[in-house]
Amino acid sequence: MEFKSQKVAYPYFGLALLLFVLQVLLGLWLAINYFVTLPQGLVDVFPFSTARAMHTNLLVLWLLLGFMGGTYYLLPDETKSEIYSTKLAYLIFVVLALTGVAALVGFLFGWNQGKPLLEIPTALDLVVVVGALLFLFNVAMTMIKAKRWTAIQGTLLAGLVFLAVLYLFGIPFYRNLTIDWYYWWWVIHLWVEGAWEMITAAIFAWVLMKITGVERGVVEKWLYVEIGLFLFTGIAGTGHHYYWLGAPRYWLWIGGIFSALEPLPILLMVIDTMRHVKERKLPITRRLVWTYAVGGVFFHLLGAGLWGFAHTLPQINYYTHGSQVTVSHGHLAFFGAYAMLNLMVFYYAMPKLRGLEEHAEGRGKFGFWTMVSAMFCLGLSFGIAGVLQAYLERVLGFGYMAAQEQMRLWFAVAFFCGLGFLVGVLVTVYDLFFPKPVTEKVSGKAAVARVVS
Amino acid sequence: MALSRKSAIWICLVGTLSSLVLFLILTVDTHRQVKVLTKAQNLSEEVVQGKRVWQKYNCNDCHTILGFGGYYAPDMTKVYKRIGTVGIQERLKKPEVVLARSWRKMPQQNLGDDEVKHLVTFFKWVSEIDTHDWPPQDSNKLPSSSIRRMIATVGISPGGALFKEKGCFGCHKIGGIGSDAGPALEGLGGKYNPETLARYIRTPAAVNPKSTMPQQPEVSPSDAEQITSFLLGIK
Repeated sequence: MEFKSQKVAYPYFGLALLLFVLQVLLGLWLAINYFVTLPQGLVDVFPFSTARAMHTNLLVLWLLLGFMGGTYYLLPDETKSEIYSTKLAYLIFVVLALTGVAALVGFLFGWNQGKPLLEIPTALDLVVVVGALLFLFNVAMTMIKAKRWTAIQGTLLAGLVFLAVLYLFGIPFYRNLTIDWYYWWWVIHLWVEGAWEMITAAIFAWVLMKITGVERGVVEKWLYVEIGLFLFTGIAGTGHHYYWLGAPRYWLWIGGIFSALEPLPILLMVIDTMRHVKERKLPITRRLVWTYAVGGVFFHLLGAGLWGFAHTLPQINYYTHGSQVTVSHGHLAFFGAYAMLNLMVFYYAMPKLRGLEEHAEGRGKFGFWTMVSAMFCLGLSFGIAGVLQAYLERVLGFGYMAAQEQMRLWFAVAFFCGLGFLVGVLVTVYDLFFPKPVTEKVSGKAAVARVVS
Repeated sequence: MALSRKSAIWICLVGTLSSLVLFLILTVDTHRQVKVLTKAQNLSEEVVQGKRVWQKYNCNDCHTILGFGGYYAPDMTKVYKRIGTVGIQERLKKPEVVLARSWRKMPQQNLGDDEVKHLVTFFKWVSEIDTHDWPPQDSNKLPSSSIRRMIATVGISPGGALFKEKGCFGCHKIGGIGSDAGPALEGLGGKYNPETLARYIRTPAAVNPKSTMPQQPEVSPSDAEQITSFLLGIK
């Protein structure tokens, strides 16, 4: 670690990991809700809706903390200067952590604005906005003072500003439900298929450059093309959420065509990563980071690209919209595109922040493969439940609960996949908090560098 | 690769801006058309109040509406057309009774009478939104639930027509049509004689103190007799 201020990233990573564990625990509780009959008294005080609000908000919060930590970690290295204000960075951390706690506790008492994924009440929204502005200020000032502009910095800053601006569209109360959902997607869709893709593409490009040693010019050139394709397909691709909400019929064409192209930038990212890995200038020393990098882009392609493509065409979406198919896609996509990216950054940075250039990777490898396979099975069980639902409820016209009865087994399967996932998460989180120094034998092995597949 | 840095930047700018411009133009046009598609002239203050209630109790994290939200409970887009005012009111006021037989529960949230009324108005407005005939299970191309109910009873007896008219399908099932909230009503002949059943229909607790069925003051004694003979005729 060359720059002292990179240290501010550590609490961001640490809290993100704890929230990740809590998110998975709540996910298991949600799965139980789906196949066990709970007593009315329990449902009255802790309904599914509250647990779901916590599960999804924890996801957003830990991913954002991860992005912020990642930004603080790479910024000094990219600008060759310290963070503008580390005090401010710690202050924002405390404010956001407290806001998160207030939001979660508030949900338990029904303090909630009742919009899925954006449940936190307006008062807390304003705190988030102030925190985000201060964060942007700190990042921008670091870049401006350093005057060493790079494409990675530009993409990162643009992505962060875009993210903050979009958040504003989720705050007001809209009288018309259709308009409400229209702008809800400006936050959700344009985040995950716009701003977040920009941020993660920049972070990913930086890590790739660091571990492969491929020249900046080459990495940045492909970063431009990827961002261009991501935004070209992603912005108008928002239309695939506008098919059935009371908007004009042309969205079926716009959404269908643009979102059919959405896998292309991800495919380019996979090809690009594999080429960089092949043309690497540095030996592979920390295999786990490589595993996450390569595994991440493939899971991104699977969960976001292929699973999204599978039900994005209006003819199919008419039957799958708002079913468990969406749940399957949501889990695979968020894990593949964003959770794995964050974990890659954590594995790159956290051992270094603790003074370890290398660490024993057995546990981390176990965690990786357990999480990846459990999440794949989880996606499949939700997917099977979703296809059943689409056929029984939407094609044959079964009543909602009559269809759910036939899906019940698959929710139980999903619960056990979730248990497996929890094991992987716990091992990974423990390993990241307490990395094991390398023994002689392991480092000998690591020297035999080869590409991870 | 032959691609130069300059062309890469051009791809980035042109790709982003073309998509953004298209998207913003269509957003303006959508605003224009949404007024017609959602029948905005019917968007009364009561409907807006109903939307506030919908958000206050975080209904949307269990139910979907327009297909968005939690997937734990039925979609609410066409709920007004599916179960009507009484069906919605009963579920909102007494979920623990209406869903006593269901293996998935709805919380009792102790809604005020006004809140219930506003929610019903909201759902009524939502059910009129032109969703291009989504969701398929409530599609205009299918016979609507009220027509299916009519087919299940009409022509059998005047009691059948009354059974449908009085909303009994909102809780009971006959021939696989109707709701699961109360028991299915085939084969009652072995359990009740006509007098007891007629009394049960109007004042359930008088026959079975444990019954969760609400009293039916709006069913006249002669209606109850007709319904009884219809029900006892189903083997």
